[in-house]
Amino acid sequence: MKDLMRIKCLISQDIETLLNQQIKKEAHSSSLYLSMASWCNQNGYDFSADYFTKQSEEERAHQLKLFKYVLDMGGNAISPEVTGIKSDFAGFREVFEDALEAEIAITQSFKNLASRCLKEQDFVTMEFLNWFLKEQREEEYKARRALELFEVIGEEGTGRWEIDKHVNDISYSED
Amino acid sequence: MEKACIDINELINVFSNNEGAVYQSDKLNCFYVDFGGKFARYNCLSLQKLKKVVEEIDIEALLLNTQRADFELVTFNGCEHIYLLSALEIISLKDLLQGTFTMFKLNHMVNDCLFRLVY
Ligand SMILES: [Fe+2]
Ligand SMILES: [Fe+2]
Repeated sequence: MKDLMRIKCLISQDIETLLNQQIKKEAHSSSLYLSMASWCNQNGYDFSADYFTKQSEEERAHQLKLFKYVLDMGGNAISPEVTGIKSDFAGFREVFEDALEAEIAITQSFKNLASRCLKEQDFVTMEFLNWFLKEQREEEYKARRALELFEVIGEEGTGRWEIDKHVNDISYSED
Repeated sequence: MEKACIDINELINVFSNNEGAVYQSDKLNCFYVDFGGKFARYNCLSLQKLKKVVEEIDIEALLLNTQRADFELVTFNGCEHIYLLSALEIISLKDLLQGTFTMFKLNHMVNDCLFRLVY
């Protein structure tokens, strides 16, 4: 009997489902960052608003990268419904705490995907995921460094103003 | 008519249960679902859609709702067939399709072992 499903599509149904879930998570991240940008803007943290807007665009790019992969492999990429985006934050610091928490969840999600790929011996998708695993290094690093500014500079006096000014200086390099 | 179709297209029985069967045609690269008095042709995509639609039906809600009959219309855009199924039939169809896709997985493994792996 011909393996018709495999002829149509390189990835398994399970991997396809997980990739679609990841597409949804990236879309969620993108919306969350945009929501953070809005909060920062309205509360006078203009540099942070720019920072989160840029992050939002990056997450959208991640979403599309996954989307393209699913389609290229012959699968069914699903445009996700995104709901329940947090829009109210207790304070400037909480925004950055939530950002790091979101990145940690994304890293965890990619680890799950990778472990599923290894279990199925889907080395093709595994190789594709390597880009994202590497990207998460940078994503978590930046979120963690930003949060650390609150410790280093402190929130008192002009602290928050100072933190806001330095958020965009954070960059990651491997060497 | 079913018998004739099976003979002409050399259909392979992928999976069957008491209520129906799914066949594959290697000649035409398609599937036939024999269920609910219909002998309906599907391709890869539409068979996957059918499975998804059937799995999304909330059978518990269907049974508990006293305001309506325990029947559900099963179809989707681009599908040439409409099934009007009772809760029990939905359970059977679900079982049939899950069995079918499990056989696809098994067949995939068999194909890998027999024809694809080069040692
Ligand atoms: Fe991302
Ligand atoms: Fe990210």
